[in-house]
Amino acid sequence: MADPSEFELLGRVTIGQYMPTGSVLHRLDPRAKLCMAAALVATVVVSQSLLGLTVLLLAVLAALALAHIPLRFALAGLRPMVPFLLLLALLQVLAIPQYSANARVLWRWAVLTVSDRSLIAGVLLILRFCVLVLSLSLFSFSTTTTELTHGIEHLLRPLQAIRLPAHEFALVVNIAIRFLPILAGEAERLMKAQASRGADFGRGQRNFIQRARMLLPLLVPLFLVSLQRADELAEAMEARCYLGGKGRSHLIQLQARLRDYVALSIMLILAILSIHLNAIQADQVLWTWLAKNLSHLL
Amino acid sequence: MSEPAAPLEAGQPALIRVMGLCHTYLRGTPLETPALHGIDLLVAPGEVIGIVGPTGSGKSTLLQHLNGLLRPQGGEVFVNGVRLSDPQADVRSVRQQVGLLFQSPEDQLFERFAGDDVAFGPRNLGLSADAVRERVRQAMEMVGLPFEYKDRLSTELSQGERRRLALAGVLALQPRVLVLDEPTAGLDPQGRQDLLRFLSVWCQSPGKAIVLATHNMEDIAELCTRVYVLREGRVILHGPSREVFGQCELLRQMGLAIPVAAEAMCRLRQRGYAVAGTALTIAEAAAALKALIHG
Repeated sequence: MADPSEFELLGRVTIGQYMPTGSVLHRLDPRAKLCMAAALVATVVVSQSLLGLTVLLLAVLAALALAHIPLRFALAGLRPMVPFLLLLALLQVLAIPQYSANARVLWRWAVLTVSDRSLIAGVLLILRFCVLVLSLSLFSFSTTTTELTHGIEHLLRPLQAIRLPAHEFALVVNIAIRFLPILAGEAERLMKAQASRGADFGRGQRNFIQRARMLLPLLVPLFLVSLQRADELAEAMEARCYLGGKGRSHLIQLQARLRDYVALSIMLILAILSIHLNAIQADQVLWTWLAKNLSHLL
Repeated sequence: MSEPAAPLEAGQPALIRVMGLCHTYLRGTPLETPALHGIDLLVAPGEVIGIVGPTGSGKSTLLQHLNGLLRPQGGEVFVNGVRLSDPQADVRSVRQQVGLLFQSPEDQLFERFAGDDVAFGPRNLGLSADAVRERVRQAMEMVGLPFEYKDRLSTELSQGERRRLALAGVLALQPRVLVLDEPTAGLDPQGRQDLLRFLSVWCQSPGKAIVLATHNMEDIAELCTRVYVLREGRVILHGPSREVFGQCELLRQMGLAIPVAAEAMCRLRQRGYAVAGTALTIAEAAAALKALIHG
């Protein structure tokens, strides 16, 4: 069977799409979701513990199930990043031993060394990355861009005191996100049009310059069209008397409910648990326990 | 609706044959959207096929199957005997034989100079510089752009000229079938007339055929020999233009406009005037009225 979606750009990139399943997660206040996402990202970055990250990964998987999003669809967003991820993990595995004094060397060849520490670091990197991508996918699957904009604007509002233009900032984010699928659709159309004239994207042995030249028929019209679109958007906004955030009221008034506080509390508990596991060095405890029992078995 | 009056003369192979074509966008994801359900379509040399239908009826999806941009998920598409569901099918030669022009094609011009843009296709075919030049000349003259325009900046041309330039870019591949999506949308009346006149001349040459999808029923009335009416991914009506536009009640129910002349004849008949036949163009309508008044 021939690949029927040779040009379907949107079909491959699942991250950044909204999936209206109407679950509890979809109905959460966007501010709560933004705070949860920020807390999760911070915890993931801070945590050095395999156990802590596994807890977070399981939590994200549970949340995906709660949001009625098929795991296969969520994982599709991870797939294109797998090669990079493996490369990064490999670099991590090879680079760490040089900086760690009390690591046990497992394997050595010329300048390359692999130790127990570095293997753990590689696994940590992969885990961390999976949690990040899955949680951000989940966020975009369950939050419309309008909700996101409102959430950002509300959260940034206190910063208006120091003259941060909260509304404008939120609008920029909104437009950038809103235009992504449009640009992807445009790129798809152009690729098809140029392919109809015999263009061949991505295949064949060519050097770098030829490859870059091959993209011109796609990039030049794409830029022209987006500039034109930006111009039209600005005009359409001015035609409807847009003057920026000052004195602007909102159609949707955000209201925090009980479920938002519950969700935030769960997130907080997870974050504390994960960092606590890190602090008490639960991994070491687990390793020693495993080592003792495995040697017992052997 | 009966089967179309045999579109194929004996021994004449179809240029394009579509059988039971199905397509679903984003198949296998929660966002999947069915677009085509079992489309049958035939294009023979010398024909101008019109595809009409409301927005979202699957016109563009169907057109993209005709040159292998989309491969059949179900059913078959044959272009000049090449089976497109075969992964080994030579899609590039199919795309050369079936020239596809998208909606508002003037957006896809990318070269600084007009001539270079027309030359994009022939260069991709790997032709020599002389052959490319010759093809560019032929293609530009076919669409009524003087060959000297090749040295103009493509941004300097008017919208109608840019659209004809894009058309020349497809014609330079010397396709046998021209597939057009909304070719006259957004053109002024003069630009539209020029384009239609060119298309009717082009399909006179032997072995050529045109498939065009449009909202504009007047385009169909002026050009097309046969019409397919699509709705929600199914062909619900097809046949010679005159027969299809004779069914004005049915078309109106589907929210489709019909050519002004056919509409006028239809209303006259509803009021009890015995006008003969279905007029497609204003001239035909005038003749029918004259016949009614004088005799």
